[in-house]
Amino acid sequence: MFSKRARMWLGLIAALSLLSLGSSCGNKTATDESGGGDKSGKAYTSKGDEGTITGKVSYTGAAPEAKKIDTSADAACTSKSPNLMTEEWVVKDGKLANTYVYIKSGTLADGSKIADYSGWPDMPTSATLDQNGCHYKPHVLGVVVNEPITITNSDPTTHNIHFTPKNNPDWNQSQPNGAASMTHKLAVAEVLVPVKCNQHPWMKSYVGVTKHPFFAVTGEDGSFTIKGVPPGKYTVVAWHEGGANGTEKPMDVTVSAKGSVTADFSFGANALGQPSSLRMMPAIEFPMPMSMKH
Amino acid sequence: MSKGVHRFALLVACATFLLIIAGANVTSHDAGLATSDWPRSNGTFFPKMVGNLFWEHGHRMVATAVGILTIALAVYVQVRERRLWVKRLGWIALGGVIAQGLLGGLTVKLNLPLAVSAAHATLAQLFFLITVCLAVFTSRNWVTPESSVNENGAGVSLRTLCVAALAVILTQLVLGATLRHSATWDQDLPTSLLLAHVGGAIAVTLILGSTVATVLLRYRTERYLARPALIAAMLLLVQLCLGLAAYIARTASPYDPQPLTPMVSVTVAHVACGALVFATSIILTLRVFRVLRVDRQEYVLAPAQAVRAP
Repeated sequence: MFSKRARMWLGLIAALSLLSLGSSCGNKTATDESGGGDKSGKAYTSKGDEGTITGKVSYTGAAPEAKKIDTSADAACTSKSPNLMTEEWVVKDGKLANTYVYIKSGTLADGSKIADYSGWPDMPTSATLDQNGCHYKPHVLGVVVNEPITITNSDPTTHNIHFTPKNNPDWNQSQPNGAASMTHKLAVAEVLVPVKCNQHPWMKSYVGVTKHPFFAVTGEDGSFTIKGVPPGKYTVVAWHEGGANGTEKPMDVTVSAKGSVTADFSFGANALGQPSSLRMMPAIEFPMPMSMKH
Repeated sequence: MSKGVHRFALLVACATFLLIIAGANVTSHDAGLATSDWPRSNGTFFPKMVGNLFWEHGHRMVATAVGILTIALAVYVQVRERRLWVKRLGWIALGGVIAQGLLGGLTVKLNLPLAVSAAHATLAQLFFLITVCLAVFTSRNWVTPESSVNENGAGVSLRTLCVAALAVILTQLVLGATLRHSATWDQDLPTSLLLAHVGGAIAVTLILGSTVATVLLRYRTERYLARPALIAAMLLLVQLCLGLAAYIARTASPYDPQPLTPMVSVTVAHVACGALVFATSIILTLRVFRVLRVDRQEYVLAPAQAVRAP
């Protein structure tokens, strides 16, 4: 049917197509070290000397203004939330809400690693993520691995809830208005899992998954409290969604027996991930002679 | 040859172009998973078209229409066409549209894996190629060309240039599809793929530009060849501008609260114009192969020299 030359060209095209497809696949990211992976570990027994990590997350400089969301694509959203705004930067009196603070790694006083444990006293047993007014409540949620997340739809419209993790399986389910609640579990620790609604693309939420219960989300006053922390040295991280991939701020703390340690974090105009009006991608870096660098 | 078949093939090609635009809208709006089921949407074939479901279900409706039109065209070609290879192409088109529909369903059911989504976007262009070919093969100009032209001028053959241009354009379309599906509007585009796509744009510009220049230098008076060449050159220019605009809009989009109209419009226009560059290049290539007469050179071996032993 085809001549020899035509077959050669068709083969070349097919090979190039497969090559380009193959080159784009398989970009996996590393697991977070906050107990990344669902490996079973030992259970921690409380000794009664656990301490507390408290702090405030502030925002320095002029806070980015929330942007108005255009909900006109779905009248049900417009009628329920006529003035829906972005929740990326919720700053009040210089304090930053919706920041996820957690122990990323550390060593207990007895020398064991926090990642070695999978069982802790007072592990949370359930969390709720509600779709209400065409946005998620809460905007940032913390859970432990395999904790059931109850998903409800309080809106008079259909949503689809789409977990887009890197280390857990992708999960997407439609949930019509009035439908029964759904439950979803994340089996592998991951900070943080973006959740979105493909029906209403402005809807975003983030779920932090850890093997331990030592996490908190800042409230409107920017404060957080992490209780029941065994004495030891830890790296505490404050994660905020600002920017395309979020911004992390680490801090080393030492928790003494029955003690309380303060860890205050600050995000600001100079922090990584701060949006600009036009951000060019660092596609290519040209080496420049020193004389051209000022 | 039937005028009716040609007109119907043209209709299917135009409908396929609209389908590519509808598909590009789905990607730019990040609407591919607006419903988790397929082929129904939210449990019904006629859902409430709100939010991004408008784009996803709208794409499915246009695809259904193109599928029905392709079935009709395949049957029409069997009835009215005498050439066996054109009849076969009709069946290939039908197979293509069925495979495309199944790939579309598969990518939704698997939550848009990159390989399947990119394959879906690539097959869309290949199916468009088939429909354009059918429209060309059933045209009067193809069946009874006005005259044939002798390949003149030294250098690379125009046929080779045309096929090379088609190959790089198709590769560039595959790269573009993979780039678009590798990151949603709220994520940064992967740098390696972006660079590959930019490199592809340079390759397309050089090779298609050379093809057009060759046509205009050697066959300027042959409107049958010069017209698609000129149109391809103009579309390429527009496409390069749209590519730059799409890059700027897409780079800023992760900081937008939702996919905004300027970004969606310019990226969809870039996809649509890419399909048009491809279609015009297909027409040019087919016409070149139809009317360009290549004189076979005969290579005569020189008489063997007698080698005298020393």
